[in-house]
Amino acid sequence: MNIKSMSLSRRTFLRGTGVALALPWFETFATGAPGSDETPKRFLSVYHPDGVGIPLKSDPAWKDWSWFPRGGEKNFELTKVLDVLQPLRDDITIYSGLSHPVARQVHGHSNADQYLTGAPIGGSGPYQNSISLDQVYAAYAGDFTRHSSLVISTNGGVGGPRGAQTQSFNREGRPIPAMNKPKEIFDMLFVTSGKDAAARLARSKSALDLLVDHTRSLARELSSKDQETLKQYLDAVRDTELKLAKAQKWIDTPIPKVDTRNLHLNADPKEAKLYFQTMYELIYLAFLSDSTRVATFQLGRENGEGPHDLLSLAVGLGAAHGLTHEVKKPNGWKNLGTYNRYQAEEFGRFVQRLKDTPEPTGKGNMLDNTFAMHGSASSSFHLSRNYPIISAGGKNLGFTNGRYLKFGKGNDENQAGAGIDTDAGWQGKVEVEELPLAKLFVTILQRLGIKTNSFGGYSGTLSRV
Amino acid sequence: MKPLKIATLLALGIACVIRVADGQETRITLEAAKDQGRSKSRYLKETKSAADTSDAIPKANVADFQKSVVSILTKNCVECHGPKKAKGRLRIDQLNPDLLTGPDVEKWREVYSALSKSEMPPAKEPDYALSDTNRAIVVDWLSVELNKASLVRRSSKEHSSFRRLTKYEYDYALQDLLGVPYPLANKLPPESTTEDGFKNSSELLQISAMQFETYREIALKALKRATVSGPRPQPVTYIISMQHEMDNAGKKAKSFETSGASKGKYKNQQHLLNRETGMGIQFSPGTAKLQAGAVAGQTPAVSPVVLVLPGENELKLNLDRFLPDDGIMRVRIRAGRSAMNPDEYASLRLSLSAHTSNDANFTQVISQRDIPVTAPGDKPEFIHFDIPLSDIQRNPFRKLTTTFPRRDEFLHIRNVSNATGGEERLKVLIDYIEISAPFYEQWPPKTHTDIFIESKNKGDENVYGRELLNRFLRRVWRRPVTAQEVDKFMALFAKYRPEFSTFEDAMVEVLATALATPEFLYLTQRATTDEKKLPAKINEFELASRLSIFLWSSIPDDELLKLAEQGKLRKPEVFADQVKRMLADPRSRRFSQNFVEQWLGLDGLNSVTHVPAGPLKDAIQEEPIAFFEEVLKHNHSIMDFIHSDYAVVNERLAAHYGIPKVYGPHFRNVPITPQMNRGGLLTGAAILAMNSDGKDSHPLKRGVWMLKRILHDPPPPPPPDVPEVDLTNPEILKMTLKERIADHRNKAACASCHSRIDPWGIAFENYDALGLFRTQIKNKPVDATSELFNRQTLAGMDGLKQYLLTDRQDQFALAMVHKLTAYGLGRPLTFGDRAELDNLTAQFRRRGDGLRDLIHLIVSSNLFNSK
Repeated sequence: MNIKSMSLSRRTFLRGTGVALALPWFETFATGAPGSDETPKRFLSVYHPDGVGIPLKSDPAWKDWSWFPRGGEKNFELTKVLDVLQPLRDDITIYSGLSHPVARQVHGHSNADQYLTGAPIGGSGPYQNSISLDQVYAAYAGDFTRHSSLVISTNGGVGGPRGAQTQSFNREGRPIPAMNKPKEIFDMLFVTSGKDAAARLARSKSALDLLVDHTRSLARELSSKDQETLKQYLDAVRDTELKLAKAQKWIDTPIPKVDTRNLHLNADPKEAKLYFQTMYELIYLAFLSDSTRVATFQLGRENGEGPHDLLSLAVGLGAAHGLTHEVKKPNGWKNLGTYNRYQAEEFGRFVQRLKDTPEPTGKGNMLDNTFAMHGSASSSFHLSRNYPIISAGGKNLGFTNGRYLKFGKGNDENQAGAGIDTDAGWQGKVEVEELPLAKLFVTILQRLGIKTNSFGGYSGTLSRV
Repeated sequence: MKPLKIATLLALGIACVIRVADGQETRITLEAAKDQGRSKSRYLKETKSAADTSDAIPKANVADFQKSVVSILTKNCVECHGPKKAKGRLRIDQLNPDLLTGPDVEKWREVYSALSKSEMPPAKEPDYALSDTNRAIVVDWLSVELNKASLVRRSSKEHSSFRRLTKYEYDYALQDLLGVPYPLANKLPPESTTEDGFKNSSELLQISAMQFETYREIALKALKRATVSGPRPQPVTYIISMQHEMDNAGKKAKSFETSGASKGKYKNQQHLLNRETGMGIQFSPGTAKLQAGAVAGQTPAVSPVVLVLPGENELKLNLDRFLPDDGIMRVRIRAGRSAMNPDEYASLRLSLSAHTSNDANFTQVISQRDIPVTAPGDKPEFIHFDIPLSDIQRNPFRKLTTTFPRRDEFLHIRNVSNATGGEERLKVLIDYIEISAPFYEQWPPKTHTDIFIESKNKGDENVYGRELLNRFLRRVWRRPVTAQEVDKFMALFAKYRPEFSTFEDAMVEVLATALATPEFLYLTQRATTDEKKLPAKINEFELASRLSIFLWSSIPDDELLKLAEQGKLRKPEVFADQVKRMLADPRSRRFSQNFVEQWLGLDGLNSVTHVPAGPLKDAIQEEPIAFFEEVLKHNHSIMDFIHSDYAVVNERLAAHYGIPKVYGPHFRNVPITPQMNRGGLLTGAAILAMNSDGKDSHPLKRGVWMLKRILHDPPPPPPPDVPEVDLTNPEILKMTLKERIADHRNKAACASCHSRIDPWGIAFENYDALGLFRTQIKNKPVDATSELFNRQTLAGMDGLKQYLLTDRQDQFALAMVHKLTAYGLGRPLTFGDRAELDNLTAQFRRRGDGLRDLIHLIVSSNLFNSK
C-alpha cells in the first residue's frame, strides 16, 4: 500500500468531519514491508558526557587543545583535538552556538537526558521528559525494518531522572532502555528466532478475530449512522491486523547473515578500544543489513564513575569524568583534548567505513544516505551551552559538508565560559546569544522525510545547514 | 526565540473605552436586578409557545448582498475575476450569494480572507482600490454569512450519541470496574475540544490503530495489577517509634529544655520532645531501620515522646533500597496537633526523592492529597497514605550492585500548614510511623476476588470460567450477557490456556480482550425494530449508562444495573431517587469537575505563563468547580453564576481576593460585601487570568469568552492567518502603543467584528491578569465603561452583571440548558433540538432556576431518553 495516499485519506477523513483537528500523536500509517526497495535514510546520534576542553585564548594550551576549530566556514583549521578528522574534512560539518535554551542554566550533570529531547527537565523536583529526535524518526522509519531503532550505551538501561544512560525517549517522555552488552546486541539483531514473539502474535490474532466478530454482530443492531462510527473502530482493528501481518513477515524472513570478523562480542568497557570499536561495528552491521535505520549510542554517563567511565583507558588516561575536573593541572587541557580526540577518531573510523561501503540498494555510498551526529550537551565544565557537535554524511539527504557553521552572536571565538573549572560557569548569566538546537533537529527531520516544522516547542529550520 | 504573538485586534477594543455613557441608568442592587430581570422572562409569560423557535434557524441574507455588496464587487473585482480574465480561476460574478445553501462557501472564504487582510485588490491596481467604507461593507456581510453558514453546517447534520468514551471516562470506568483507585490511562492521548469546548462530543471522538493498541496494553496492565498469584508476599516494614529514637539517641544527642532559654531556638525546627519532662533533643533520623519480621498494623500505646514537626518542615527518612517494585506502600502516621485553634490547620504530604547524580536529584509528591491532622496532641490518631509503588518515579539505581549512583530512596513527610509565628504556633506531633509494602488489606485482595470470585465451581475450569466471564462481561458491557457471547470468550480461553501455567494468567488475557470490545469503549444504543417511530427511546440499560457517564463520568454500578434488569429504572419516583443518590455520591465530583472545566475552558489556565504552579494556581483552578458544587448542592439559582453575595474560597484564594478570616485549605461558602468586588463566576481569578496575555488583561479574549461560554453566542472566528504585529519591523517598533492601535484601526476590515466583541471585555478592565481588582492602570484611572453594539452602556463589572441580570436572564438560562444538555448527551445539539431545549428552559425557569432541578429536568427529558 502506498504510504502517502493512506495517510492522506486519514487526514481527509478527519477534515471531512468539519472540524480542524490535529492528530494528537505522531502517527504514520505506513505499512512498509521487508524488501522495500527505497534507498534507506539513516540517522545516528552519538553522545558523549562531560563536554570538551575550551581553554582561554590567553592559555598556552588554547592553540592546540581548544575543541572548536579556528577560522571561517570553509577555511577553518582543526586543532589537535579534531585533526584526526582531517581526512574526512569534506564529509563533516562542525557546529557552534547551538544549545537547548531551557538547559542553559542547568547543571551539566543533568544534561544527557535532554540532548535529543530539548525538554525543560531542570535540575531538581518533579521530572518530565519528552520524545527524542531519533524516536520521532523511528516512528516513521521503523515501519520499514525489523527493528524500529537500536538504542545502545556503555552503561546500559535507562539510568535515572537527570542521570540518563540512554539517549532515547518515547512519545510519553519515558526513557527507552539502552543495551550495553555486545553479545546481547548481536543476538538481538542477528540471532534471536522470535519464538516468544510468534506465540504472542498468534494470541493477538485470535483476540482480534474475536473482536471483529463481536463488532460485526454489534453493528447489525445499530442504526446505519452509528454503524459508520463503529466502522472507524473496525478500521483501527484492521490497521492493527496489518501491523501484525508485518511483524509476522519479519518473523518469517530469515535473519541477515553478516560478516562478524571485526566483532569482539565479549569485550567490556574496561577493554576500551575493543569495546568501543565493536559497538560501532554493530551499528554498522545493523545499518548494512537494513535491520534498522535509527541508532543512538551514549558513551558513559554524566558525572560518571566506575567501570563504565573508562573509555579513556584507550588512550592511557584515568576516568573520563575526572579529566574535566583536572584541566588546570599540568597537562590537564592536553589530557581532556586527547580523550576527545580519541572519541573523534573512533567516530571518524565509523564514518569512513560507511563511506567505503557502497549503498546496497541504492546510489552512492552508505554515508551519503546516513546523517550521523556526534556531540555533547556541555561545552566547558558543567556548562550547558555552545554544544560541541559534529555531523557527518547525508549528501543524498541534502546536507553540504566541509564546513564550520557558527550560529548565534557574541561568541565568535568560543570564549564564553572558556577556561572555567567551577560551577560559577553554569550558574552565571547567559551573556552571548545562541540558537535553539531544536532548529537543527527540525532541519534533520525534514531531510529525513518527516513533514514537520517544529520540535520541542521550537519551529523553523536552521539556515545555512 | 519564539515569535512574540500579539493578538493584533485586541488593541482596537482599548480604543473604544473612551465612550462614556451619557445617561447612566439609576443603579439598583444586583440582587434586585435578579428579581427585575426574572419578571421580564418570556418563558414565564403564559403565552409562550414553542412555535417561535424556527426563528432561531438562520437564513441567508441575500437582500443586503443585492443592495450593497454586489455593486462594490462588480466595480472593484470583476474586471480581473470575471468573464474577461478569471484570475486565479475565480469568477466572483458567478458566486452564489446564498452561503447557507449554495455551493460556493469555500470560495467566499478565500474572498473574505483576501479582503480582510487587504491583499486584494492588489496595490498595483490603483484604479480598483477599495475604500475603507466599502471594504467594511463587504467584509462585514461576509463574516456574518460565513459564521451562519458554519453554524448551519454543524447544526443541520444529524448527530448521534453513539460515541467512544473520553480518556477520562475510560479511566474512571476502568478504576470503578476493577476497584483500583488511581489513574490507569495516562498513556492515552488527550482529547480534542469542540468549538463549544466539550471533549465528550461524538463528532470528535475518533479512534486510531495506535489508540486501539494502547487500550489493549492498558487493560492488560490494569488487570494484572488488580489480580494476584501465588502466596501472600512478605512485606518489608519500617517502624519508627519516637520513644525508641530518643532512647537510642542517648547521650550523644544535644538535649535542651523546651521551656527554657533555648525554646525560641527550636521552635521552628523539628525535634524530639518528651511531653512529660519537657526535655527535647535535636533529631535527624538517618536511615530508617528495616524491621525483620515486624508486623504492620500495630497500635502501640501512645508515647510521651513525639516528633515535633512545625509547619513547612519535613521529616526525611532514608528507606535505603528495600522498597519492592510493585504493590501498595502503606504509610501509617500517628499524629496530633499541638494546639487546637480552629483558624489554624496542619496536614501531611508525602514525597519521594533520590540522588541520581552529584548535583542532580528528583523529588516528586506521591500523595494524591494532603491529609489534615485533626486529633489533639495527647490523643493522636492514625492517618494513612496508600501509594502505588509502580506508578511513582522510583530510583532506577536501587538495584545496582555498586554504590554509585546512590541507591537509596527518601521518603519525606511534610507538614503543610498555615500556622505562622507566635509562641504557641501549631505544630504536628508524631509518636509513631510505620511503612509497609506491599500492603494488602486481605489476601487475596478484594480486587482479585471481585474477578476471580469464590465459587463451588472453582475445580472445573470450564464451568468456573463461564461463571466469572458472565459476571465480568455484564459489568463491562453494562447489560445482560447471552450464553453464546460467553461461548466465544471461552473459545478464546481454550486457545490460550495451554500457553499459560495457571488458569488465572490465561483468563486475564481473555478479560483484557473483553476490555477492548466496542461495547466497553463506546456508549452504545441499539436500534429497535420500530426504528421508524421517532424519537426512538433508548432502553433502560442504555439509560443507566448515559446517566452514569453524565453524573459519574463512568459506568453504572450494580444498583443501577439491577433496576434496569428489573425494568424499574424509568419509574419516575425510582428514577428521581437514583439521580439524587448519584448526585450525593462522591463520584459526582467528577461531573462538576469535567463539566465546569469544559464549559468554562479552564484548560486555558495552563496555556498562560504568568500563573506559576503552586497553591495559588491550584486554588484558582479549583474555585469555579467548588462554586458550581456549592450551587448544585444547595439547588441555588444559576443566576448565582452571574452574581452571588457569597464566594466559595479557601484561605489562599481568600487572601488573594482580600477576603479576611478564611482559614484552611478547603473551599467553603463565605459571605462577601460589594466592596470586595467578587461574587459569581465572572470575577473568578481563573476566568480573568486565563483570558489575559501573560502580562496584562486581554479584553478581546475576555469578550470572546463571555460570548462563547456564558451567552452561547460565539463571535465569527478571526480571518485565517491574521498577521502578527511585526515587532522586527523598525517602523512599527518606533510607534507608541497608542499609535499601534491607531495604525491597526485604519484597517477597516477589522473594526466591524471587533465592535461586537471588545465592549464585553472592556467591562472586565478593573481586573488585572491575576484577577486582582484595580482602579488604576499605569497611574491612570481604569475606564471600564463601554458601549455594546446595541448601544447598551456597560459600566464596568457591576454594569455588566446588572445588564445580564436585568436583560439577559433568558439567554443565559437557555445557554446553560444548552451546555448541560450537550454535555449530557455527548453530541452537538442541532436545530432539530431547539424546540425541546426551549421547552426545557421554560420548565426550568418556572421551577425557579435551581441547578439541581435543571439536572433532574434534563435527565427526565425526551432528549435524554431518546437516541
